[in-house]
Amino acid sequence: MERKKTYIEDIDRGIYDIKNEFTYKYKADKGLTPEIVKEISKEKNEPKWMTDFRLKSLEIYNSMPIPTWGPDLSDLNIEDIVTYIRPDAEMKHSWDDVPEEIKKTFELLGLPQAERESLAGVGAQYDSEVVYHNIRKELVDQGVVYMDMETALIEYEDIVREYFMTLVPPTAHKFAALHGAVWSGGSFVYVPEGVDVDIPLQSYFRLNAPGAGQFEHTLIIVEKGSRLHFIEGCSAPKYKVNNLHAGCVELFVKENATLRYSTIENWSKNMYNLNTKRAVVDKNGTIEWVSGSFGSKVSMLYPMSILKGEGARSEFTGITFASQGQHLDTGTKVVHAAPYTTSTVNSKSISKDGGYAFYRGLLKVAPNAYGCKSTVSCESLMLDNKSKSDTLPIIELNNDNIDIGHEAKIGRISDEAIFYLMSRGISEEEAKAMIVRGFVEPITKELPLEYAVELNNLINIELEGTIG
Amino acid sequence: MARELLNIKGLKVNIDDKEILKGLDLNINKGEIHIIMGPNGSGKSTLAYTLMGHPKYEITDGTIEFDGELINEMKADERAKKGIFLSFQYPEEIPGVTVEDFLRTAKTSVTGKMQGIMAFKKLLKEKMDLLEMKEEYASRYLNLGFSGGEKKKNEILQMSILEPKLAILDETDSGLDVDAIRIVAEGVKRIKDESRSILVITHYNKLLDYLEPDYIHILLDGKIVKTGGMELAKEIDEEGYENIKLRYSHI
Amino acid sequence: MITWKRIKLENFSFPKIYDYKKEFIRLEEELPLGIRLDKIYDTVDKTKINWLNTSEGNGLGKEFISFVNEFYNSGVSLYLERNSLIEKPIVVEFNMDKENPTVVDKNIIVAEPNSQATIVFDYSTDEGVEAFHNGFTEIHAGENSSLTIIKVQRMNDISQNFDTNIAYVKGEGKVNWITAELGSQISGSNFTTFLDEVASESNLSSIYLGDGHRKMDLSYSMIHKGPRSISNIESRGALMDNAKKVFRGNLDFKRGSRLAKGGEEEYVLLLDPTVKSDSIPALLCEEDDVQGEHAASAGQINENQLFYLMSRGLSEREAKKLIIEGAFRPVIDRIPLEELKQIIDSEIERRLVNA
Repeated sequence: MERKKTYIEDIDRGIYDIKNEFTYKYKADKGLTPEIVKEISKEKNEPKWMTDFRLKSLEIYNSMPIPTWGPDLSDLNIEDIVTYIRPDAEMKHSWDDVPEEIKKTFELLGLPQAERESLAGVGAQYDSEVVYHNIRKELVDQGVVYMDMETALIEYEDIVREYFMTLVPPTAHKFAALHGAVWSGGSFVYVPEGVDVDIPLQSYFRLNAPGAGQFEHTLIIVEKGSRLHFIEGCSAPKYKVNNLHAGCVELFVKENATLRYSTIENWSKNMYNLNTKRAVVDKNGTIEWVSGSFGSKVSMLYPMSILKGEGARSEFTGITFASQGQHLDTGTKVVHAAPYTTSTVNSKSISKDGGYAFYRGLLKVAPNAYGCKSTVSCESLMLDNKSKSDTLPIIELNNDNIDIGHEAKIGRISDEAIFYLMSRGISEEEAKAMIVRGFVEPITKELPLEYAVELNNLINIELEGTIG
Repeated sequence: MARELLNIKGLKVNIDDKEILKGLDLNINKGEIHIIMGPNGSGKSTLAYTLMGHPKYEITDGTIEFDGELINEMKADERAKKGIFLSFQYPEEIPGVTVEDFLRTAKTSVTGKMQGIMAFKKLLKEKMDLLEMKEEYASRYLNLGFSGGEKKKNEILQMSILEPKLAILDETDSGLDVDAIRIVAEGVKRIKDESRSILVITHYNKLLDYLEPDYIHILLDGKIVKTGGMELAKEIDEEGYENIKLRYSHI
Repeated sequence: MITWKRIKLENFSFPKIYDYKKEFIRLEEELPLGIRLDKIYDTVDKTKINWLNTSEGNGLGKEFISFVNEFYNSGVSLYLERNSLIEKPIVVEFNMDKENPTVVDKNIIVAEPNSQATIVFDYSTDEGVEAFHNGFTEIHAGENSSLTIIKVQRMNDISQNFDTNIAYVKGEGKVNWITAELGSQISGSNFTTFLDEVASESNLSSIYLGDGHRKMDLSYSMIHKGPRSISNIESRGALMDNAKKVFRGNLDFKRGSRLAKGGEEEYVLLLDPTVKSDSIPALLCEEDDVQGEHAASAGQINENQLFYLMSRGLSEREAKKLIIEGAFRPVIDRIPLEELKQIIDSEIERRLVNA
């Protein structure tokens, strides 16, 4: 293991920047051709329909333009990003069987420890392949399935085929098409009717190889009346070459079911995080997103909730922290497609040290979605005047029987608040940190303890030295 | 041991280049209660903020000595550590920071000693009981959604936890009902002893019935124009500020 | 050919422009010294018009602005000397009829330091005339000047309206906009204010009413460049029948606009299930020491209010009209012309009650 900090100009991201020397079993050529896509599919022994799906997606990918409305993507050269890298490891179910190098990384990230302490199941993905998946026995007995997507494609082919990329079709946008062509790894969760999974399941993604793309697919189906909390964590060390993450998350929340999907994303600052997440919610079901975006060079991430059934509910709580060299374009989309649906959006962003935080949101109410309610709140904090912060919430209303409220605020930490805290003996630095922590508290309190601690540590690391 | 706690000489203070305090002198000894009364705009709050070290209040002349040390240039947190406390007229609301976390951090900082979670909880509960505050306030966000009276009580709670040498109460009695004034006054009296002093800044004299001040000062147009005892408060009460102004403004 | 997605304007091209032969300046009394008001084609000296810095601001789009610059058939130029002041509002009124179905007006208002004026623009049509309006009003507000610009658009339901307004405001200058959008079939209007210097200020009050098949795109931008600049946008609207509106409000804090404050509030009443209401409020910020706030709300008329009024014998339409007027009242009251207020009131009444 080597510790390289040569490329780290700004802050010490500590353990997140450790990268491992590793031998790879198979590495696709740079760039993307039908041959490569076929090869990927063959490597994985996939059924024909999946191979065809990949090839169709590739066609769509080639025919679509790179989006120009958001952050600048001109630096991203897809041809250079190796699409498929599989580490030299087979799937393991016991932590002891995971290769030492990979284990070390995950241990540094606190993963198995988290499992021991408070998680129902853990999956870990290293570059393109899932290397570790485990789930508690009592959940298995209740029929809960938690495994990597490749195995699911074999063992639960019918279910995967029914749902796979129906919510995020390859036609959604160019990177969804790319995902359809080269997806690899990810998690599959199936919670049968009436099962309450009372402790969270967790997946951890890590991108280790330089210039690699990670295209994991997460498919979660929560059947009628069931309940699940799923946590996703992402990180990667920093290399000079740009990395790409174009994952896809599809969540199906059935009648009366509740799914909470939490993400703490701390990709290194050379990562293009172009991730697509969507949830469709049936009658009286609930989707809750908790989303923290801290890392990456460029992010375009707008988790979408489609409230399809009457009385369906969505709640989005998001925090974005953009620091030096980062352009984080994040937000959420909510589509009220049925009567009496409700949604809440609570977004906060912080920009500092030249960082650019952009909230982009869509709230759409269909003509038949009468009696629906929505409140949207966006708050932005500017820590200096080198940074930028924009808020662009789009609201489209197509009937009159609704109750919609939106508010947005921008500003900096108030001098009076700092003075008040200082008058109680707290230093200026601590006073500011305290106010920032208070600002993100609505997010931290939604997270499991160890993630809340991690988030506060991240904030402290980010604020160090910038205050005074 | 020196008796003198606060010594202000010829203090002149500007806000945005406008002179508000125009040569103010004030001496407070340990164990004394002082009241400063004055009409709106006379500079009462300016004095309070200046003593606490608000960066917008610029001292252009004069000295402030506290406990034998010149504090003109000290930042607010350093002054707090030295034992100055200001009960704000309009306390700030800080979302996401609970009263308990905030006060434990403050207490740690002021005393320089880590405050154990359990021990601090106990201390906080004790002090809150004395102020007839509900326990739930400890876990609420600092001043957020508090009523005017609750905010003032919360200020007094902070004072009783931090145990300052000099407590400055800026219009702490405004907006309080009779019960709340009694509770606040008792809280103030509890902290006062031979070494601790109180400076009450007020427009009215509601708190006066509960406290027994050693001195009353009248502040007019940035200067103290008259110092006396309880009879001064009565004079203001009966005659109103307009007449007082006429009587003393030549000074 | 122009395509405008949100108001479904596809393959639009400009119609033929006819001369506008009617008088459009109405002066109740002689202008005081130091104030010059001309028809814009009397001041043919185009170089004089172009010395002004107009490189910034796109309004409704380059096509619409350059069309005005090329084909204007009317408009005023108003020049206010230093310290000059007009008490009574200047009224510019365009009534499009069979003989004069098109108005392409180019207006330039230059207010030198400490000057003050109120200018009203009123656009109306005769019944049954398929009229077209495309205008461009450019304002230069000097130091400590104060201008109030009132625009009332009450064209008929078969006409088209496009209007661009751009103001450049200097130190402590102030531009107040009042806009009432009550008519036309398609309407695009844009008000952009550049708060260029220290403590410059702009307030925009807008009311709009969408009925029938009207499609409106209303965009209001406040661009803060000067320190301590202040802006405020307040918009109140009502939508009924198959009307569609797009509201775009931009508060843009450029680097250097320290201590600037901007506020934006949008409130829309939705009266029928068939209306469409889009809002795109943007808050853009490159400066930390600013305060920007935006709030929007949308919903139906409060049922209890409606019930209360109806229990006093009002019909549902009348009650609704009263509530909508109540929402519009604060803006209408800012119009300093009794006569125009009444015209607006009766126009709202006509559209709400007699429809």
